[in-house]
Amino acid sequence: MSLQGLKKRKSEVLISVSPMGWLFIFFVIPTFLVIAMAFRSADPYGGIGEQWTLNTLKDLRNPNYPLIIWRTVWLSIISTAICILTAIPAAYYISRIKKKYQDIILLFIIVPFWINFLIRIFAWKVFLHPEGMFKQLLVTLHISGPDSLLLYRPEAVLVVIVYSYLPFALLPIYASAEKFDFHLMEAAYDLGAGRLQAFIRVFIPGIRQGLLTAIIVVFIPALGSYVIPDIVGGPSAEMIGNKIAQRTFIDRNLPHASALSAILAFAVIIPSALALTRRFFKEKNSGSLGI
Amino acid sequence: MKKVLLAAAAAALSLLIISCGSKKNELHVYNWADYMNPAVIEKFEKEYNCKVVMNYFDSNEALYAKLKAGASGYDILFPTSYMSKLMFEQKMIQPIDHSKLKNLKNIDTKFIQKGLDPEMKYSVPYMMTFTGIAYNTKKVKNFRASWSMFDRADLAGRMTLLNDLREVIGAALKFNGYEYNSIDDKELETAMNTVIKWKKNIAKFDVDEAKRGLSSGEFFLIQVYNGDALQLISENPDLAFATPAEGTTLSQDDFVIPVTAKNTDLAYKFIDFMLNPENSKTNMEFVYYLSPNIPAQKLMSEEFLTDPAINPPKAVLDKSDFLKDLGENNSKYSVTWDKIKSSN
Repeated sequence: MSLQGLKKRKSEVLISVSPMGWLFIFFVIPTFLVIAMAFRSADPYGGIGEQWTLNTLKDLRNPNYPLIIWRTVWLSIISTAICILTAIPAAYYISRIKKKYQDIILLFIIVPFWINFLIRIFAWKVFLHPEGMFKQLLVTLHISGPDSLLLYRPEAVLVVIVYSYLPFALLPIYASAEKFDFHLMEAAYDLGAGRLQAFIRVFIPGIRQGLLTAIIVVFIPALGSYVIPDIVGGPSAEMIGNKIAQRTFIDRNLPHASALSAILAFAVIIPSALALTRRFFKEKNSGSLGI
Repeated sequence: MKKVLLAAAAAALSLLIISCGSKKNELHVYNWADYMNPAVIEKFEKEYNCKVVMNYFDSNEALYAKLKAGASGYDILFPTSYMSKLMFEQKMIQPIDHSKLKNLKNIDTKFIQKGLDPEMKYSVPYMMTFTGIAYNTKKVKNFRASWSMFDRADLAGRMTLLNDLREVIGAALKFNGYEYNSIDDKELETAMNTVIKWKKNIAKFDVDEAKRGLSSGEFFLIQVYNGDALQLISENPDLAFATPAEGTTLSQDDFVIPVTAKNTDLAYKFIDFMLNPENSKTNMEFVYYLSPNIPAQKLMSEEFLTDPAINPPKAVLDKSDFLKDLGENNSKYSVTWDKIKSSN
């Protein structure tokens, strides 16, 4: 490595010290504290006991958990899938139109963020109200009966999660679609690919990075949803986030809440760690090719 | 234009300085929502030249958990007496200095004998409350004053229970003829099965949103605290309130001062101010709960005092219980609550 390269390396390290330090103090340490707390005993008055114990781990075999975990996972997977599948064609079309229209459309996507998240969820409550206009419309069209309910069911949670996170999926996919070289599509057509084939085999691999980011930014917050199922979910739409809140606020059992949070954290950390190491080795092997 | 801007900036700055300067004179109150007349608070602010900052909680357990986890900065809290007792035992709230409250003599000492802190060692009673059922008379046919209403499949999806394990499991215990504070496993299991049956018919477990839902026609029947129900009825004549014949929970919400309070003096002045008969009356008229304050009650109308939704008849009182904290046995309730919430 040349001297200049070495210098460059040094400044890179210096620049990354502060964000790394930030992450370490506000992310790594708290995560470890949460995990450590799961091994402390709980006292019935909400304190954290002095002893170390494995009892909390045993309590996690609660027969009620598989159902809640399963519900959390399927709601998150389906909402991520819907977000991605709707965001891909949308991002494709936005990136194909004139630049100035692109900006306007992006503005429309971002503007709702100026309204508080909670207020937007409450707006859904008004929208899906059993005496509301939307419900009346469904009844007039004979799509739903007068007594069926739109709110307080897992489907309502799904709809609101998709609504909340769709822009987060759209923006990174759009960002990579915008950089995508559409001449490649033309080349594919010239080589005999149909529109759909070119879309699937050339465009989608071309925006892979954006897709990955979109999946991560939708799936992880969806797994940890708490407010959405709390407000629009009924008694049978609880997710892990609600259970953690219950353990903390009602049951006064912080170690148990910590254990649940740790499970949630591991559910995210382990797959990402696996993906990262796989990529690391892949890059090492193909590094000489410069890919 | 420049001058205007400058003047505006100066005004903003001086406001900032004033509000900073009065930081010392700020009282932080942590209360239930809709539980005190804003007019009385304004009057207090004027009289003592201070600012009252209100924050709200929706369950005793959440209040406790927050404070236990180290939340501080509140000067006055309003826990229900079972929670006041626990907080005192956990050294989270201060003993009350009676010499600082000249209006303490107004309290109905006979009433508080039934409560958990008859000598007012650590709490001063604010309001007496009980739980019941509020419903829409236009939508609910054949109403009966009973917890069995939650069995009614024709109201499915249009009813709510409180998001409070003690109140909900307690209601089911009463429905089955047991005590509100039962720690008997068999009784709790029966109650659990009752709530699981009810759960099929309710839209959700909720405290504050349920009230708005009842007003807006989203819900037809809700489990609710008596005063909250009366506040709703005053706005919507189609609504009514009833106390279940099987009995219900009685509770008393207290003024307490946390040990971490920064402005204890002002906190005492606040409590004393609220015990003043005139102010207590204004509060009662707003929240529709009965305060155990004798001279204040004398100022209330006959209609208010004899309303069974404010002052329950003796027959109901005899069948009802005061909520108690159960210490280690609380976990029995959380286990039951878990099973209820995750059942299908």
